[in-house]
Amino acid sequence: MPQLQHEARALLEQGKVDYILGFEPGTLKFSTTPLITKNKEDCARLVVNPFIANNLSVYLPKLKGRLGIVVKGCDSRSVVSLIQDNKVARDRVVIIGVPCAGIIDLDKIEQLVSRERDEIDDIVRQGDRVAITLGNGKKEFPLVSVLADNCLACETPIPKECDILLDPTDTLVTDPSAGQQRIQEVESKSVEERWAFWEKQFERCIRCYACRSVCPVCFCERCFAEETEPQWVSPAPHWQDNMSFQIIRSLHVAGRCTDCGNCERACPVNIPLRSLSKKMVDLVDELFDYKAGTDKSALPLMASYEADEAEGVFR
Amino acid sequence: MTIADTSQRPRFFARGNVYLPHIVVIEKVIEETPGVRTFHFNFKDERLREEFAFQSGQFAEYSIFGVGEAPFCISSSPTRRDHMEFALQRVGKVTNALHRLGVGAEIGFRGPYGNSFPLDFLAGKNLVFIGGGIGLAPLRSLIWNVIDNREKYERIDIIYGARSPADLCFKYDLETWGKDSSVNMVTTVDRGDKDWTGKVGFVPAITEQVAPSAKNAVAIVCGPPVMIRFTFPVLAKLGFTPEQMITTLEKRMKCGIGKCGRCNIGNLYVCRDGPVFSYAQIKSFISSEY
Amino acid sequence: MFKKIGHSEIAKLLSEWSKESTVLVPTRADGVTTWAKWDGRDVSFLDWYRNTVVPPKSFLLPMLEEMFRFQKGKDGYSLELPPSDGRKQVIFGIRPCDARALAIIDLVFREGYEDLYYVNRRNNTTLVGLACTSPYDSCFCTSLGSGPGDARGVDLMLTTAGDQLLIEEVTDKGKELTAGASGLGKAAEADLISAREAVELASRKVTRQVDLKDTDKALLANFEKAEFWEDIAAKCVSCGICTFLCPTCYCFDINDEMDRQGGARVKSWDSCQFALYTRMPMENPRVEKWRRVRQKVSHKFLFYPLSYETTGCVGCGRCIRRCPVNWDITQVLNSLTAKVA
Repeated sequence: MPQLQHEARALLEQGKVDYILGFEPGTLKFSTTPLITKNKEDCARLVVNPFIANNLSVYLPKLKGRLGIVVKGCDSRSVVSLIQDNKVARDRVVIIGVPCAGIIDLDKIEQLVSRERDEIDDIVRQGDRVAITLGNGKKEFPLVSVLADNCLACETPIPKECDILLDPTDTLVTDPSAGQQRIQEVESKSVEERWAFWEKQFERCIRCYACRSVCPVCFCERCFAEETEPQWVSPAPHWQDNMSFQIIRSLHVAGRCTDCGNCERACPVNIPLRSLSKKMVDLVDELFDYKAGTDKSALPLMASYEADEAEGVFR
Repeated sequence: MTIADTSQRPRFFARGNVYLPHIVVIEKVIEETPGVRTFHFNFKDERLREEFAFQSGQFAEYSIFGVGEAPFCISSSPTRRDHMEFALQRVGKVTNALHRLGVGAEIGFRGPYGNSFPLDFLAGKNLVFIGGGIGLAPLRSLIWNVIDNREKYERIDIIYGARSPADLCFKYDLETWGKDSSVNMVTTVDRGDKDWTGKVGFVPAITEQVAPSAKNAVAIVCGPPVMIRFTFPVLAKLGFTPEQMITTLEKRMKCGIGKCGRCNIGNLYVCRDGPVFSYAQIKSFISSEY
Repeated sequence: MFKKIGHSEIAKLLSEWSKESTVLVPTRADGVTTWAKWDGRDVSFLDWYRNTVVPPKSFLLPMLEEMFRFQKGKDGYSLELPPSDGRKQVIFGIRPCDARALAIIDLVFREGYEDLYYVNRRNNTTLVGLACTSPYDSCFCTSLGSGPGDARGVDLMLTTAGDQLLIEEVTDKGKELTAGASGLGKAAEADLISAREAVELASRKVTRQVDLKDTDKALLANFEKAEFWEDIAAKCVSCGICTFLCPTCYCFDINDEMDRQGGARVKSWDSCQFALYTRMPMENPRVEKWRRVRQKVSHKFLFYPLSYETTGCVGCGRCIRRCPVNWDITQVLNSLTAKVA
């Protein structure tokens, strides 16, 4: 951690960046919050821990000047994706890579210990296990049982596109099949069951658009959801419109989504959005042999076309 | 920002479901400019034709069923009640749809909402009307109101401008007022054409040229926000106090009755506390929220 | 008047109330706590319920509702109001903060032209409050002159006293519910003491504090300072969570929708945090994020005090708990007053 603080401070001091975008401890237990600062003294508050869930690249397109940004593996691919889409120039960002050891999913912890997060005293990662303190008691669980699904399925924990790579703290323990489990549960349903499942999920959508707001590749100046002529989806949150919104959004982020998991994490009503977005990531890989944000000089998937391309995309 | 006095808020009387519109019928459509049309309309319900009352400056919510609602001021005068009028520029979904309507079409109407021009305050004063583009619509209601009660008011100046001669709205009114010897009518355009013989220049600059006296006068200003912003300083230079400057504002007033939340300027809602404000009420946040 | 009831008698009481009213209780589905019609059996929420993610305002200001339907016939348009739902509802277990929030919404929706969709429902609603025993670390109601046992805003107030619930009859509407209800006993002095202790204990657990003494002054003084607000708004991502889950936020949108049977005018939740909220065809006074954040903070802590002499926040902490980037209103408010001091 001092390494990050030191590097970030140096970037500001040497005038290499105008802003540092990193994480500082949040105001809730086990939380972090984005720190966006011009002030080198603030760098002392920068942290790296298993709770740095946000994908800070969401801030890049709107910030001016040169930006030093702290990224995990998935986030770094979002930065690349934004570079591909001309939303930020490569020479405007200094990428500080965190070799990611996985993000702890507090919802999973709450379920494991039947307590809400503010009632938990401590969560400590110890190698491939995690120790949870509740009052006088301490419980241990395998790390894979508390890591976020997208981390369990992660293929790029170590940022490739970066200017400064921090030293690793822990190594990521993955479990791809566990990370894929909820998606497979949905897939194993019949078409009718699946429709009923999604209907039920989207009935509780409050259309807060948090999924869109936290998504770095949802960068449209004006979202199709707010167009009035023609109106693609009703502004009122009927489940059908909520579902249409997500289906269209999935297509818009196809080839850009890096499975950072923040849409699902942000959803206040627990809609399993990753079951759509990760499925799309897998489809993009399968149909087009394309992994988002891995090649900054490549054309964005949806901005290129080849004559012999898979038609199976429409099925 | 200042704390505006809300004690003068109009008092309402409950009368059932205020969101339920009346049906009105379009009786005439006038093409003012390529993008602006005036609609003459009347209530479908005979009784409402008799009973409906409004004041100059008030607005209403007009709707095309299936498309949506939008707020516009009532641009005709309550002194002329064989029909009512509203005028609008074609800019979005609802206004596009309204522009496609012809005579006989039925639309929804609910109102009147908001406060109105302070006739008692204006009585016995010299009135300076300053309008730009379609901003003449609310002023027009008051101008006809004043002309129809001419003896109650002193001198009347009207300064009106538009981008080009083709963009001048209510040309038939401009002509009538121009011929009225009791009115000093000044028309200007930002850019003239080969036939244009009137003044050329932005409304604030022309106002400075015309230089109406502030003595016992009130200026009533309405136009695009940028015009309003630049006109107030000119009036101040001419000696008008903030209390002597009146404007009527437009925001995205969806409900029209102070509930939906989106038309506030500070703690004032344009729909509930306005749309007519004195510059004294809004001067400190006009730069920031308008 | 105080009465009491044993935990084991609650289901029976709710059954009795269900005959005349729709009884709404906290519920948990797909990992989300919200409110739903009581299923006639389960009162286990009394054990797990702290507060819900989705506030009970959704039963007075639904996420979406048809205001009226319209149809075009040969004589022109005819409009039809939805059938009046005169059924009473009881919100059982509403927290003091959420009940106070409804009293705050009342100020707007009952003023001037009444919004009958809200007002009719509100008149048909009885609020049975349940004092908090385990507030969240994000709760800050005590800084707003309220607390876990605040009975202002509810019709009946229930407080845990051992294995019993003490019932305070706060309003006549509340008394209508307790009149003739079975299983109610007379509260003894000891029950009152035990309930008071429970509330005091809970109050001490509300550790998040905000100093609101000069907040309105600070907001006024800094209202025009763009840089100040840009700083505050920097990490906000402009989603609608804080406003949609806020128990006092009431802003809405009105749209028309067509279907096979004709069409309907629909009212639905809207948020001042969305860039298009204030957009007019030609311009938008709040394009920049900081203006929208300023609106949210100022509405609750400056405009409400100016117009209604109350704060438009009840300290329920939902906006803090659920914010995807941990934008914390208490931190912002404390930094505001620090700036003025």
